[in-house]
Amino acid sequence: MASIRVENIEKTFGKFKALSGVSLEVRDQEFVVLLGPSGCGKTTLLRIIAGLEQADKGRVWIGDRDVTELPPRARKIAMVFQNYAVFPHLTVFENIAFGLRMQKASPEKLKANVERAAALMHIENLLERYPAQLSGGQRQRVAVARALAVEPEVLLMDEPLSNLDALLRLEMRAELKRLLAESRTTTLYVTHDQVEAMSLADRIAVMNAGRVVQYDQPMKVYQEPANTFVGGFIGSPPMNFLRLPVEGRQAKIESLTLDLPTPVSGPEVLLGVRPEDLEAHTVQQPQTFPAEVLVVEPLGPHLLLTLSFGKQHIKATVPPNFEVRAGQTLWLRPQPDRLRWLDPSSGQALMMR
Amino acid sequence: MNLRPLYMLLAIVLVLWVLIPIFLIATLAFSDRASVFAWPKGLLPQQFSLETISFFFGVEGVWKAIRNSLVVAAMTLVFSVLLGAPAGYALARYRFAGADAYRLLILMTRAFPLAILAIPLAVQFINLGIYDTAFGVALVHTALALPFAVLVTSSLFLGIPKELEEAAWTLGCNRIQAFLRVVLPLALPGLAATAIFAFVISWNEVFAATLLTLRERTLPAFLLTSLNDSPLPFRFAGGFFLIVPALVFIFIIRRYLFTLWGIANR
Repeated sequence: MASIRVENIEKTFGKFKALSGVSLEVRDQEFVVLLGPSGCGKTTLLRIIAGLEQADKGRVWIGDRDVTELPPRARKIAMVFQNYAVFPHLTVFENIAFGLRMQKASPEKLKANVERAAALMHIENLLERYPAQLSGGQRQRVAVARALAVEPEVLLMDEPLSNLDALLRLEMRAELKRLLAESRTTTLYVTHDQVEAMSLADRIAVMNAGRVVQYDQPMKVYQEPANTFVGGFIGSPPMNFLRLPVEGRQAKIESLTLDLPTPVSGPEVLLGVRPEDLEAHTVQQPQTFPAEVLVVEPLGPHLLLTLSFGKQHIKATVPPNFEVRAGQTLWLRPQPDRLRWLDPSSGQALMMR
Repeated sequence: MNLRPLYMLLAIVLVLWVLIPIFLIATLAFSDRASVFAWPKGLLPQQFSLETISFFFGVEGVWKAIRNSLVVAAMTLVFSVLLGAPAGYALARYRFAGADAYRLLILMTRAFPLAILAIPLAVQFINLGIYDTAFGVALVHTALALPFAVLVTSSLFLGIPKELEEAAWTLGCNRIQAFLRVVLPLALPGLAATAIFAFVISWNEVFAATLLTLRERTLPAFLLTSLNDSPLPFRFAGGFFLIVPALVFIFIIRRYLFTLWGIANR
């Protein structure tokens, strides 16, 4: 068990700047997810922490050891790869035992650790098989068991679920959560799947273009995105951003006025509001603004509406039994405690005072 | 226009072109003296006899030539794998300046005519004292087999995911341990195929072997120099012994040769 700390990591591949000054701290026993679109540098950061890639600048600590110059084998880490990387020429038992054999563990410890790791992943009955005889999900279990068997100080996972089909991914996700809550291993987990990140993480580090743009608990990241990128990337459908005129310390949506938490210098402000935080009414109500329904998409648990407000489009979700059709005008009430105010030019959230 | 019948016809002609001589050589190598000399020869095998074969092995120098061929081919095999596999690994795993040019250059060595090289080589070999030795011939054969060894092993290592090695590194291996414990076991069948191919190239090579030896002839060199003034049964039996090992080995490793051609076409 140990914390992970990276400071000012920079990495360039040819002309492409993969990481520009990333600093991040993962506390002991914490589960942190690195989330971002492909090419944002999240996997590169993970590989630098693993020692598989060398940073151009910056340092990496695991616990209180500076591991920047150490090869992967000396870092006391374990890694789970996207394509599992289970050794095809070894049985499941030998795969899980691989790290322990390299540590020259005693036969008793080896057997005990392998069996414990196999039991945790529910693969005790597969120990004599070869990877070719296993399904994708089972191979992934072997890969995780192999990583856990060496009792690493930190566990690094690179999109471990992305090669599984949707149903299996859901199952493995819940299982991983249970498992890592049990084993209490410090874990850094890379994914581009925001649902996976939300469901698993203690904290999410959202990355974009080689930087960490927000690092906070999942619900904070969801409800209080640091900028328009985070609000748009997390949540499906993404957060709405409405450009509104400012009058004094208030923003106006038609007849509706909303108080701004902080003075705004420019003539306009950006309102971020989640689709589920817009309450729809068929007749005018206080604290609402009108919008015309363009599209109605029944999604099962709710209806997804696309509405037009002036030239801007808004997504809103309403209960499945809500009577609505395209062309109709609805009155929307934003939940006052769920609003996010952002600067329209920089896209950054306004500081709360 | 449907070209399929045309292709089929072409394929049949090509196959017969290759197979009929082999068939004749094989049947006549196992026939008695009378049917070897008979004309016209029947298409079906004549009565089976080991007479021709035993006559062949009775000729002076044949056994020595076979032994020389085996020694040279074995040395070529070892050199090709020991030099070719690391080069193939480097091509597969590392991005270095000029990697693509290097890959092309390796193939270009095959375009260089051996005939031009042969005389200077012979002179050099005499100076170095390795003329007319198995070692000297093996060096030339290694040079011939190496391009294939490098390209086959490179595609072989490319087929082994890098993540397997990386996983081994994170689990406590240094680079050499990871290679020995993970990559090598997975590459072994392909390496064996590479080795066999190098063996076959050496076994069949006649030009360099003829020029660079006098007494220590390999089998092809020995046959080439003695074929014209030998009786027919000797020629058939000799031909059979040149063709068959190569055919058998190539058949065993054909899967790996296809991957080589896949790479060469790219």
